[in-house]
Amino acid sequence: MSPFLSVLSSVVAWVGAMLAAASVAVIGPARLRETWDGLRGRIWDARRAVALVCVVLLASAVGRPALLDVSRLFGIQATALIYGLEGGFVAWVQATFASPALTAYFSRVYVYGYAFLVAFPAIAYLALPRTADLRRLLVAYALNYGIGLVLYTLVFAHGPRNVMPDMVTPLLFTNQPDVILLASEVNQNSNVFPSLHTSLSVTVGTFAVLTRDEYPLWTAVAVPLSLSVVIATMYLGIHWLTDVVAGFALAFGCVVLAYRLVEPRDAAAEASDAGEGRRSGSEPAAED
Amino acid sequence: MTRPISRRAALAGLGLAAASAGCLGRTENIAGRDPRSQLTLEINTTPADGDPNGIRIARQLEEHLTAVGIDVRLNTVGQTDLWRKVLVNQNFDLYVGQFVETEPFDSDALYGLTHSQFVAEPGWQNPFGITEMAVDDLLERQRRTAGNDRSDAVDALQETVCDLQPFSVVAFPDALTAVQGARFEGWTQDRQPVSVTGLLGLDAVPDADSAGDGGSGGGDTTADDDNATSSATAGGADGEGGATLRLVTTDDRITENWNPIAAEYRKYGTFTGLLYDPLVRTDGESTVPWLAADWERPGANTVDVALRDARWHDGEPVTASDVAFTYRFLRDTSLGGVETAVPTPRFRGRSSLVEDERVLDDATVRLTVPDVNETVAARALRVPILPEHVWSERTDPATIGGFEFDFETTQAVVTNNPEPVGSGPLRFVEATAGESVVFERNPDHFLVRPAPDADSETSGGTTDPRAGIPPRYHGKPAFDRLRIEVLPSDISAVESVAEGLADATVSNLGPQSVPRIGRSDDARLVSGRSAAFYHVGYNVRRSPLSNPRFRAVIARLIDKSAVVDEAFEGYAQAAASPLAASPDAVPDSLAWTDGTDPVHPFFDDEGSLDVEAARAALRDIGYRFDSEGRLLSRAQ
Repeated sequence: MSPFLSVLSSVVAWVGAMLAAASVAVIGPARLRETWDGLRGRIWDARRAVALVCVVLLASAVGRPALLDVSRLFGIQATALIYGLEGGFVAWVQATFASPALTAYFSRVYVYGYAFLVAFPAIAYLALPRTADLRRLLVAYALNYGIGLVLYTLVFAHGPRNVMPDMVTPLLFTNQPDVILLASEVNQNSNVFPSLHTSLSVTVGTFAVLTRDEYPLWTAVAVPLSLSVVIATMYLGIHWLTDVVAGFALAFGCVVLAYRLVEPRDAAAEASDAGEGRRSGSEPAAED
Repeated sequence: MTRPISRRAALAGLGLAAASAGCLGRTENIAGRDPRSQLTLEINTTPADGDPNGIRIARQLEEHLTAVGIDVRLNTVGQTDLWRKVLVNQNFDLYVGQFVETEPFDSDALYGLTHSQFVAEPGWQNPFGITEMAVDDLLERQRRTAGNDRSDAVDALQETVCDLQPFSVVAFPDALTAVQGARFEGWTQDRQPVSVTGLLGLDAVPDADSAGDGGSGGGDTTADDDNATSSATAGGADGEGGATLRLVTTDDRITENWNPIAAEYRKYGTFTGLLYDPLVRTDGESTVPWLAADWERPGANTVDVALRDARWHDGEPVTASDVAFTYRFLRDTSLGGVETAVPTPRFRGRSSLVEDERVLDDATVRLTVPDVNETVAARALRVPILPEHVWSERTDPATIGGFEFDFETTQAVVTNNPEPVGSGPLRFVEATAGESVVFERNPDHFLVRPAPDADSETSGGTTDPRAGIPPRYHGKPAFDRLRIEVLPSDISAVESVAEGLADATVSNLGPQSVPRIGRSDDARLVSGRSAAFYHVGYNVRRSPLSNPRFRAVIARLIDKSAVVDEAFEGYAQAAASPLAASPDAVPDSLAWTDGTDPVHPFFDDEGSLDVEAARAALRDIGYRFDSEGRLLSRAQ
């Protein structure tokens, strides 16, 4: 099997197992059974949000190469600006904290933890009787991706591992070289501003706080995990602090917008029929 | 801009008040002066993924420039964009990059690089914009003279160029290459292994049956998404020894552009060099007739070239008129169609040697190469010969969507040259932009054409179509196909070779990737010295880089020994002269001895930068600092 497929299947297998375990632990068997019965109705109810996410992901997949060319030719060349702004912060993070155990932890968090973090809320909110949270989450994902894509096009910048190789070790890629194949499949090394890993994780973390009454256990998992992803982006030398700050801003902006855009309509449409077909939610793999 | 204006506005207000007091003159004298601001310089280079070494040099320079009080912008751009910025638009302050020739080159290579006649042309000709009569004179002299006179001229030329520092030579890298020994052997040890002659010199490992099976099995799985068909044909169609040489690179330019004259898309031109044959090639220290069967100089100013029997990849014969066309075309790719000539952005120094060309018969062409020595005359024959029937269609001004803009360029310069038609030992098969490209052996090439049964051939005199070509290239290349795959980093490239999924790496490896090679039994490191020196190039058109004394101080901020030790981990050789890889070319005055630069020694304070000494040197040549230690300059 090619290195790319083997790393991809490993990610899919691990994330699948984590999703299954978390579904049982966080949502509970009873609610899961209930979800299964009302699945079709809820998806139908959230169809527009689902369609929106699909459209944005599709546009991203199709349009990225062309947008990258536009970015290279006409984008703001921001590497020097960002580097001038924050200097060796990421190098300092590595020099101060790097240890084999942390590297192993953050590498896994960056790849497996992140995919799990982004995928699980879609299942969890699907299991809620009302679809408002699900729709908000999906709209927020779509906004993150959409705005992120626009910013990628406007801003052309390379990450710290590419600019300060003498001080910043590309820890992820030296320790798990296969992963770079996966990462480069879905991303370009010049797409660093903003950090979509940060913005999507923070989006999930924020939603987890907002829905803590429904899933207190998930809040306890999601907040530390999302912060781990945020730190991992810098610890591994992939993103600048500037990208991370921008990622936070993007995340909060998207959550606010999602709440504005999605009305929690009343139980009208919540009635559910028995449904077939499984949907595991949007599942972007490793992604900056 | 806003600060001085607001300040001046404030002063204007003051002046108005002062006018009533009757001292307008003095205030005007102050307010009329523009304040100085800190000098800003931008360093351009490629990111670590593209080249792990250049960014290290740029980082050190950035640190040292910052330390002496210059505001530095360290900018990383892709390889194509870097050369577009530097070579085409000449819109840069400093850049860190590599020279384009990997084999030790003759001093005449400096002609294109530094002669003032090219100052207005985009491309590899004088990208620095240096205009020095002393340099021009010496460049002309080394073309004319021979023997000791020439050595003297070359010595003086190097010394002058070193003094003037239009660019600072930093180090000659070892061309680190990870190779898989199981399927091909003969990787050159002393030179760049992945070069035209290096690839042509490879031999298939004799017992390639078992190894080949394992190898092609690996090839199938790496590429099962897009290459199942091509490896099937490679194995099936021409079965004899039919192996595919699998190379990996981080440089994706060869997967989208095959234009031999596109400066921003070529690194060393290795693969376009296999698509397009030159008249002669250098092989080690000798010059070998290639597309030319032979050449002679009937007079001091002419070279007569007799062509081998050869065909273009599309079946058309290669004729003397193609050769004549090539030289005319390289001089002006518009062939007179545009008011100002649009010369080629590569090979300009060489092609400028040929002033006129005349077709004597189908297979003989007479080139007018006025008054140059043998070495330089042979150099004129080292340009890729292009098919007239393809490139004569590309002489119109370049347009976008049918609209003509004032780009001062032709379609020939900007075309990606899809489906390239050359006459070389390899021909193009297919490519996926950004992912991979496949070439195959040209079965009609004179290297593989059998010698004896040449009844149908018209070239009566020479019976052997390979006359004059060293035997180790006969019947080559040793592979049926050459597949180059793009990977995201040097580390993944090395991993790919170590796992047996590829036979060799093409692009530069950082020293960090070297230990990974040892983890596999069959993979090993081949490191030949490359002549493609790393250098810091200055845009001499811009103040204060226009000042040779200022450039000399910047050169002294580069700790070349530390670069070699730390960035290259010893896999490089520091140097002062661009000819340091060429045998016996460097005079004693420029020899690198005792770990210091003979002309522009680093401001060394026990291993780190002596900031005070550097500032003193800048003060000595007339520069000033403000109270916070910032180097001041006129805002530009």
